[in-house]
Amino acid sequence: MSTSNLLNDHFGESEDEDDNFNPQPADLSDAENDDDDAGAQIQNEAAKQRNNASEDGARRRPSDEQNDDEDEGEGEDTAPVDEDDDEEEEEEEDDEEEITGHRRKRRRERHNQFIDVEAEVDEDEDENEDDEDENELKDNFIADTHPDDLADLPAGVETDDRRHRELDRRREMEASLDAEKQAEILRQRYANKNRSGRGLGDSAVVPKRLLLPSVDDPSIWAVRCKEGKEREAVFSIIKRIEERMGTKDELAITSAFERGGTHSTMKGFIYVEAQRQADILTALDGLMNVYPRTKMMLVEIKEMPDLLRVTKVPTLEHGAYVRLKRPPKYAGDLAQITDVTESGLELRVRFVPRLDYGLHDDANSLSGFGEKRKRAAAGPRPPQRLFSEVEAKKRHAKYLTGNPGSKIWSYLGDDYVNGYCEKDVKLQALQTTDVNPTLEEVSRFASNAEDGTENLDLNALAASLKASTANTSYLPGDIVEVYEGEQKGVVGKAVSVQADIVTLAVSEGDLRHHVKVIGGSRYRDEVGMVVKIADDRVTLLSDHGHTEITVFSKDLREASDSGGQGSLGNYELWDLVQLDPSTVACIVKVDRESMIVLDQNNQTRTVLPSQISNKLEKRRHAVATDRNGAEVRHDDTVKEFGGESRSGKIIHIHRAYLFLRSTSISENAGVFVARTNAVTSVTAKATASAAPDLTSMNPAMKRNPGAANGGDMPPPKSFTRDRSIGQTVTIRKGPYKGLLGIVKETTDTNARVELHTKNKTVNVPKDALAFRDRLTGAPIDPNSRGGGGGGRGGFTPRGRGGGFGGATPGGWEGGRTPAAGTVERTPAWGSSRTPAMANGGRTPAWKSSGDGAGGRTPGWADGSRTVNPYDGSRTSYGGGSRTPAWSSGAKTPAYGISDGFAAGSKTPGYGGGDTWGSKTPAYQHPTPSNDNWGSNQQPSNGWGSAPYDAPTPGAHISAPTPAAMNAPTPGAYSAPTPAPYNAPTPAAAPTPAPGWGGGWGAPTPQAMDAPTPGGQQGYYAAPTPGAYGMPETPAANWQDDGPRYVD
Amino acid sequence: MFFVLNLTHSVTLHPSYFGRNMHELVTGKLLKDVEGTCTGRYFIITIMDTVNISEGRILPGSGLAEFTVSYRAVVWRPFKGETVDAIVTSVNQVGFFADAGPLPLFVSSHLIPPDIKFDPNATPPQFTNNEDSVIDVGTHVRVKLIGTRAEVGGMYAIASIREDYLGCLQGAP
Repeated sequence: MSTSNLLNDHFGESEDEDDNFNPQPADLSDAENDDDDAGAQIQNEAAKQRNNASEDGARRRPSDEQNDDEDEGEGEDTAPVDEDDDEEEEEEEDDEEEITGHRRKRRRERHNQFIDVEAEVDEDEDENEDDEDENELKDNFIADTHPDDLADLPAGVETDDRRHRELDRRREMEASLDAEKQAEILRQRYANKNRSGRGLGDSAVVPKRLLLPSVDDPSIWAVRCKEGKEREAVFSIIKRIEERMGTKDELAITSAFERGGTHSTMKGFIYVEAQRQADILTALDGLMNVYPRTKMMLVEIKEMPDLLRVTKVPTLEHGAYVRLKRPPKYAGDLAQITDVTESGLELRVRFVPRLDYGLHDDANSLSGFGEKRKRAAAGPRPPQRLFSEVEAKKRHAKYLTGNPGSKIWSYLGDDYVNGYCEKDVKLQALQTTDVNPTLEEVSRFASNAEDGTENLDLNALAASLKASTANTSYLPGDIVEVYEGEQKGVVGKAVSVQADIVTLAVSEGDLRHHVKVIGGSRYRDEVGMVVKIADDRVTLLSDHGHTEITVFSKDLREASDSGGQGSLGNYELWDLVQLDPSTVACIVKVDRESMIVLDQNNQTRTVLPSQISNKLEKRRHAVATDRNGAEVRHDDTVKEFGGESRSGKIIHIHRAYLFLRSTSISENAGVFVARTNAVTSVTAKATASAAPDLTSMNPAMKRNPGAANGGDMPPPKSFTRDRSIGQTVTIRKGPYKGLLGIVKETTDTNARVELHTKNKTVNVPKDALAFRDRLTGAPIDPNSRGGGGGGRGGFTPRGRGGGFGGATPGGWEGGRTPAAGTVERTPAWGSSRTPAMANGGRTPAWKSSGDGAGGRTPGWADGSRTVNPYDGSRTSYGGGSRTPAWSSGAKTPAYGISDGFAAGSKTPGYGGGDTWGSKTPAYQHPTPSNDNWGSNQQPSNGWGSAPYDAPTPGAHISAPTPAAMNAPTPGAYSAPTPAPYNAPTPAAAPTPAPGWGGGWGAPTPQAMDAPTPGGQQGYYAAPTPGAYGMPETPAANWQDDGPRYVD
Repeated sequence: MFFVLNLTHSVTLHPSYFGRNMHELVTGKLLKDVEGTCTGRYFIITIMDTVNISEGRILPGSGLAEFTVSYRAVVWRPFKGETVDAIVTSVNQVGFFADAGPLPLFVSSHLIPPDIKFDPNATPPQFTNNEDSVIDVGTHVRVKLIGTRAEVGGMYAIASIREDYLGCLQGAP
């Protein structure tokens, strides 16, 4: 003890602690002084003595009390008979002596009131007789207190200074004694006392293992008794002990106790401690409910301590939830305790019955009630439904008794109250741990109050949930606190978790401040900050809704995520949901299985997700007007007009209702409802921020913000005269279909055509025009039409586009000629190239050819076709590598022509006519290809899918860039010199894309083969038209495929 | 506690803003984006200056240019155990809310000295010990933070006035 040590040092007289003691009043409140703290000990004893003295007849000394307390504290024994009874009795005798001795003194002494009555000093019981005599003498010299005065004093008041003098004297004497003697005295005085009086309390000094029973100690026997009467039996033993105390047949047993009552695994036993078995027999003879004559079991010494280990028993209380184990029909069903019998063995529970009201009864069977039960259990059990007397009356009216007024019915031997079955059940038939009622189950027990509101006894629920620890899970790394058992209060970090054993590394420290509720409490999944910790109860401020909740620390886990709870299924906190067609509500709290919503009428209700018809998406751009007519939008702050003048931020706008949220309101998570016409806007959200958004287009750069298509570049306008003006055209569609005319004026889409037939100018869409040669009437491409080669030169690209355009709408063009720009210029073009691409196939040029005008073919071939295919390749070819390749072949010249279309173009081999000349390779190429296509393509597979795909116009075209051409062309060409072959070859050659090449390669020969034999001339002369005719087909097909190309 | 930190921030710029004043735009954007925000651990109170603006990198696909700006800023990080002054914003029976600058905090009634009690009948409701301490909306209080929590775009703290020298900063009116 620090005090005494300090004082020792101060006195400095001896090394021995016992030598000195501090006569000054030490800390009186310190009840747990060490033995060797002599000074304090004296004071303590003195204090105790005085207490005893003042309480007349008090039998227990404080030290005894202390003893008892300690016993309880250690949880060693709850049985009324104490092990150390004997010792205590001795003790008490001692005490008696002292007390009586003291009383004697008191009686004898009368003290003078005039001397120093104010201060009181502890007395000491061990006084010398001499001193006392002396005292008496002295005292008697001064007159005694007057009896009247004495009467004035309150009872028990010390009326003299006796104690002061005693103290002084003792000090004197002790000072005069030499240290060793003093120590001896003290030892004598206190040694015994310490051993007996504080024995068990001094566990720090006496190792626990030395307290364990040994062979010398009395043995313990387990004696059978009636189950459930264990405690009663022990009480009756106590009673008998008291009765026979001091008589000749005093009980020779040392103790008797029972274990754990009804929940113990050792039901039906009490334990009696005695030296001999015979003692027990005599002691228990004739007691009720105890059967000492049956086999008694001797408890092994090493097991004795275990008998006194206390397991805490959960108490079942009214309203708690349990699960039924029996009968099988109700196995696992939740039941609520309505009453507990005194013994705690039987409970009255109520549960939702599973009745079929005889629906499945065998009409013939006369089976008794019991049998029925069994059968019911066998089949599928009926669903849980509240008892309905109406149902019962239908078939089982005879089994039903009761009073409709009281709602208490008796049916088939069971009582039904308010629809629940109430029954007395043995504890064994109940599962009381790990009940884990779900909210749904519990809601069946929600007592429906008069007003229709449901009220759940959440405390009972919480208690039931708390009792179950099965679902608390710990993770390594969690900071955990031991809340029960010897190591209660130890805080540490979980190192490993195996099943339900958590190994923890002890560390000091608080639970973290931001925690999440886990485990069974109804606040499960709440996240909050700890504001208070008291014992194992932690109060935290929930993150959502700013409410304080108190939970057990065992249910807490350090929160890793700041968000935590806030959603249930699809629904989240703050969501606006539709409850029924006329009601919307805002979710203000989300629980584990239900949520609380605030509806538009400012009422809260608890709903299950299933009760919500749908979630209303937030309409970001919803606008409402406040009472002043000002716009309010989401996130604006508005203030109620009138009422409480609450202000809040708009979180939802629904019709005329605003759901507002305010941080300063705690109820409903700060959400409240207002009508739009009852609020005024406080601050509108800052509309477009001052600074422009730097991640999007600079507004200053937007030239024509009004552009319909969002600033896309408009098609380049050509400012030249529309070429179609002055052209001869036929009208292909509409009321004027088939009429010939001359275009007089044009707009982007329409042309005014002066008809030849009547003197009339009509408006015709441009795409309904087909251009004709003014003289021959042959279809022409107006663009290529400038008149002769010159014209063509300029147009080449376009021409190609046009020609081929027929076949492959725009695709070609796009790929090949940047000049595609021509697009809209001529109707023909327009049709082929413009969005109206669909026409592609039908470009006037083609069309005409398709029309099968044999005579025209050539011309047209000239115009459109030749140019196209070759053009791309040709232009480059012209100067490029191709020429040589071509030259090697007979046809080169033909190719050569391409641009110039000079006569030279018609290679000898090509002997074909002019028409031909122009077309040669080009022509050939398409022709066969057309054939191929014709054949292959019809099914639209061969070409349509793979091979065709490959050569998507773009690809195809880009491919035949000069370089590509160069390489393959020569080879291909040179080898198959024969005309027919040639034709396809080029096609093959230019294909850079293997797919395309293959496509061509394969079909080409065959296709070619057929026409080839016919000879070039024949082929060309006669079939050309046919061949030409073909193109249309492909064209048509292409058209089908067109979109793909376009893509 | 306040700190001066060197921080970086990336700013993206639309191509239409490319030009001579790009750096001004970037700096302006930085101020707009960053100043007064909370990272979850601290509040960026103000930007002192920009140390460096990297060259812009074009983001593939969008054409926006990304600049990485390093700057110096004064930040405030509330620490557990820090004592701050705050202004009460609302009072209810479980405690009161207050703002310490950008930091909203809550003082639970458990963390208010027992002699200061909630008086629901006063208008406005207040915590008072019927002597010199009256805590209602607008009162300046000195509190000690006992826990902080990061939220999206902000922080939140629990504070106590249950200690010496904490509580109301004004005497009785």
